[in-house]
Amino acid sequence: MGYITIKDLNFSYNRKQNVLNNINVEINKGDWVAVLGHNGSGKSTLAKALVGLIEPQSGTITIDGLELTEESAYDIRKKIGIVFQNPDNQFVGVTVRDDIAFGMENLQVAREEMIERILFYADKVQMKNFLDKEPSQLSGGQKQRVAIAGILAMKTDIIIFDEATSMLDPSAREELMSYIKSLHDEGLTIIMITHDINEALLADKLLILKEGEVFAQDDSRKLMRHKHLFVESHLELPVALDVANELKDKKYDLIKETLWAYVSMK
Amino acid sequence: MKGIVIGQYVPGKGFFYRVDPRTKIVAVLFLMIGTFLLNDIYQVIGALLLTFILLVIGKISFIKVMKGLKPILILLIFTFVFQILLNKEGALVLDSNLNISLINIAFVIGLFIVWRLLAKFKKFNFLLFIAFIVGSIFLFANVTISGDYLFTSFNFRIYEKGIEMSIFVVLRLLIIITLSTILTLTTKPTDLTQGLESLLRPLKKIGFNSDDFALIISISLRYIPTIFDEANKIMQAQASRGADFSEGKLKDKLKQVISLLIPMFIIAFMRSEELADAMGSRNFIPGKPRTRLHILEYSYRDVLVSMFTVAFFTIALLLRINVLGY
Ligand SMILES: Nc1ncnc2c1ncn2[C@@H]1O[C@H](COP(=O)(O)OP(=O)(O)O)[C@@H](O)[C@H]1O
Ligand SMILES: [Mg+2]
Repeated sequence: MGYITIKDLNFSYNRKQNVLNNINVEINKGDWVAVLGHNGSGKSTLAKALVGLIEPQSGTITIDGLELTEESAYDIRKKIGIVFQNPDNQFVGVTVRDDIAFGMENLQVAREEMIERILFYADKVQMKNFLDKEPSQLSGGQKQRVAIAGILAMKTDIIIFDEATSMLDPSAREELMSYIKSLHDEGLTIIMITHDINEALLADKLLILKEGEVFAQDDSRKLMRHKHLFVESHLELPVALDVANELKDKKYDLIKETLWAYVSMK
Repeated sequence: MKGIVIGQYVPGKGFFYRVDPRTKIVAVLFLMIGTFLLNDIYQVIGALLLTFILLVIGKISFIKVMKGLKPILILLIFTFVFQILLNKEGALVLDSNLNISLINIAFVIGLFIVWRLLAKFKKFNFLLFIAFIVGSIFLFANVTISGDYLFTSFNFRIYEKGIEMSIFVVLRLLIIITLSTILTLTTKPTDLTQGLESLLRPLKKIGFNSDDFALIISISLRYIPTIFDEANKIMQAQASRGADFSEGKLKDKLKQVISLLIPMFIIAFMRSEELADAMGSRNFIPGKPRTRLHILEYSYRDVLVSMFTVAFFTIALLLRINVLGY
């Protein structure tokens, strides 16, 4: 069994049409998984189910051996956190300091411990000099980093990024991507939701959702060699990757390198 | 619209900045009630002097407090005028006829035009307005020229008690406003809400959760600048499509306001849903106990403020029930 196991998961908002349809996924500790899919394919819904914000009609989610139920959701959320798309709509505190504290306050972390963790994690996301700043004084990228610090401070070891870069400008996007990479290097489990194929292909594993179903899941290097998968799920493979795919047949495996270059170019 | 300040908090280091918000809230409340218990002009003048001493102790600039008065200046003036006109006790101070005559009206219109012209110098606008009113009354009261056509004339009387009462009422308002300004000037909105939360905590017994209440207030405060920004963006977007928010008929303006409000409401709904998800994912459960990063602590300053408040309130009460035989 994986660190995160999703088994036969079904969910619908209106009980007529399933938004998530018979999802089966296994994610190992320390994996970096990209969830790819066009708009409305159910990515955000899957993320919300994983943190227990919505209750599936059937199927189970198990994280670190603990099955997610209404009762266990509180404990599950000690292990898994989520950074949402809109930097403005997840900043709860009045200042950076307050926002990083919010999750810890809910977990009833002692005050002295909170102060220590705030300094440590603010430093980690390079927001230590901004602790007393209010959200209106911060850029989108900075707000997303505060959100990351707030989750890390809760000592979670799985972070979901639900299109967390999509509202940022290119340089902030690249910066956030390198933060995600360093979190992965430190051993955190990363689930990165995106409809940007260039970002998705940086992950080790790829999960393609199409109309609420798992269309494909495998090692990203393997999947990206099958152009038809992307085409069929209405995703466009970037030109550079097309070229890399061609080169691959000539024994130059440049796909990973091409991708980093591609993302930094953007 | 970056950096909009909510409330009137101005960062500083004076005495009152380091008084616990709970103490400040309760003290201001009791000082206000005490002020309303005072019932003659000398007592109120004494209280006003005390209030000014508070400003000096707190190193709060008098000008900032005066600026806080600006929005209610009109109220103060109306109160003053009404008290003067309506009170008919005591000795007669002024007795004159207000003559509404042709020449007087002509002069007043002339004065009005001069006022409007001078009003371009925005700074003195208000002083000029006062000058205009006083000038008009002076004209009506004193100028009579033979051959002028007199429409009608009013009897205009001011009594001693009227002057006393109007000063009494205005000074009392001044004290109340100065006190509340000291509170809002030296207390961060977040501290204010946390103080309120702490004070309202006993209400938990009757089912009122002050913790959630304080969180709601502080989140609302936090989102006001964001919503302003948004309104600005929407207005710019609509202006770029030809909408003009500054001109047009009332009907057009109404249309524009509605076209601003609807997207703002939709965004606010989406925002609140996303915010609820963000809070839930960080394990916020309404009503569940939480630890707090900010804690409130009393110091010797709170003792001083409490002592002052108790003394003031007690004296005011004793004066009121006339125990001191005064
Ligand atoms: N709160 C909701 N109520 C009803 N339907 C929803 C809600 N949220 C999403 N949906 C629908 O569920 C489907 C999947 O949405 P979502 O998970 O947000 O997709 P994605 O994140 O991949 O773009 C869409 O068809 C969307 O319209
Ligand atoms: Mg989504």
